[in-house]
Amino acid sequence: MLILGFDTATDVASTALVREGELLGERRSRAVGVLRDAHELLAAAGAEPGDLDALVVGTGPGSFTGIRIGLATARGLALSLGLPVAGVSTLDALAAGAPGTVPVIDARRREVFALLDEPRCVRPEELELAPGTRCVGDGALRYRAVLEAAGAEVPAAESELHVPRAQLHAALARDFGPAEAVEPIYLRVPDAERAAAR
Amino acid sequence: MVILGIETSCDETSAAVVSAGDVRSNVVSSQAELHARFGGVVPEVASRRHLELVSYVVRDALGAAAARLDDVEVVAVTTGPGLIGALLVGVAAAKGIAFGRRLPLAPVDHLHGHVAALYLQPEPLEPPFLCLLASGGHTLLLDVRERAGFRRIGTTIDDAAGEAFDKGARLLGLGYPGGAALDRLAHEGDPEAYAFPVARVPGFDFSFSGLKTALLCAVRDLATDELERRRADLAASYQRAIVRALVGRTLEAAEATGAERIAVVGGVAANSELRASIPGAALAPLPLCTDNAAMIASAARFVEALPYPEYLALDAHA
Ligand SMILES: [Zn+2]
Repeated sequence: MLILGFDTATDVASTALVREGELLGERRSRAVGVLRDAHELLAAAGAEPGDLDALVVGTGPGSFTGIRIGLATARGLALSLGLPVAGVSTLDALAAGAPGTVPVIDARRREVFALLDEPRCVRPEELELAPGTRCVGDGALRYRAVLEAAGAEVPAAESELHVPRAQLHAALARDFGPAEAVEPIYLRVPDAERAAAR
Repeated sequence: MVILGIETSCDETSAAVVSAGDVRSNVVSSQAELHARFGGVVPEVASRRHLELVSYVVRDALGAAAARLDDVEVVAVTTGPGLIGALLVGVAAAKGIAFGRRLPLAPVDHLHGHVAALYLQPEPLEPPFLCLLASGGHTLLLDVRERAGFRRIGTTIDDAAGEAFDKGARLLGLGYPGGAALDRLAHEGDPEAYAFPVARVPGFDFSFSGLKTALLCAVRDLATDELERRRADLAASYQRAIVRALVGRTLEAAEATGAERIAVVGGVAANSELRASIPGAALAPLPLCTDNAAMIASAARFVEALPYPEYLALDAHA
């Protein structure tokens, strides 16, 4: 079972190739570069796209455009090769890389996406964190001062814990099915719809 | 050569199969209704819808062409200009499809696509010709000497012609997008009832924003019942002014470039008065004038496709 995983929801896109649960390689780039990374990972493993058995894609939350690049890539590739796809939340993948922490992704506009009991979009000041809670992710880095003032801890900026790693998506993937059944996690309606609802 | 085209630059999600200039299928899923309540295309709403639809329109296009992916030799996709978030959905999907089968991928310029609608069967147009491209997003005069490209000789300095139609329709209470409704209403009115100004700008450029303001003032000056009575006259006069501007500049440009043929493409080519005002102009069939993927696949025949794996980090541009 050869699985290609990728997550493009945040500024750091991650791509991983996994065979029978064993990591063959993992690379980082930007969202538009995931297939080049996939190509290089496959080449290094002596494989080609047609050898893939399944895809795992990060479903966000994060950058709307980034999430869509990942899901559209997965849909195109799945259609091309008839592959099953599983979606894994970017917050779940971050949490899996740093057990016991609260993952916090930058949502722009002075808000963050955080995994509390469920994924939520809140202002960083509104996060209720027990003292000593560790927070990871690009949102934790951006709002380090706010989170530390609330008693949380944020690992050093260089820490690997802050970036989604596609090998964790592959490890978390459970339900493989049609690519179209994997839906984006936006957590925020478009501004125009919010305005129209008023 | 069998080409699978994909177009997601604005509010139509489209895929098509074209081979040897024949449109074997051209599936267009319009989002117009989705955007109607906002009075215009909302980029984030459009991008979300493109993602929901993109793989379905590709499957439908293959099915309608009775083609399998095994038959496809090139994947073509619009890389710009357009709404960046919308374009990226199509580009990502196209890259995924091409990558899976190690197919070449042709990045297509959306404007070239509009022109290439004229190169499809059953009556492919041969350059040279002068092309008026008028749509909701563009108003351009193009000097076309070869199928691989064109030279841009004029553009709008403010609103696009299609935008002027839609904004005028909105001022007349015809909803969005209202270009077609305005066209229908204009048939019942007197095009000389109002003298709306057509701005003269230098060169071969266009300007429509003053016209829109003139209509706004005319509407504002009328009492409600009076407006109801004069609506058809306003529509007819407004349409006359836009068409006169388009046709005037197009004929001037044709004369300056020595073009013997004139072609009209883009959604505004649907306008009945415009169609009637340039006799002898080459007009692509309507489904190929509004945004669609067959025109993108058509353009791909005349651009160099990127071989696998050179396109894997391809980006879109607004
Ligand atoms: Zn267009």
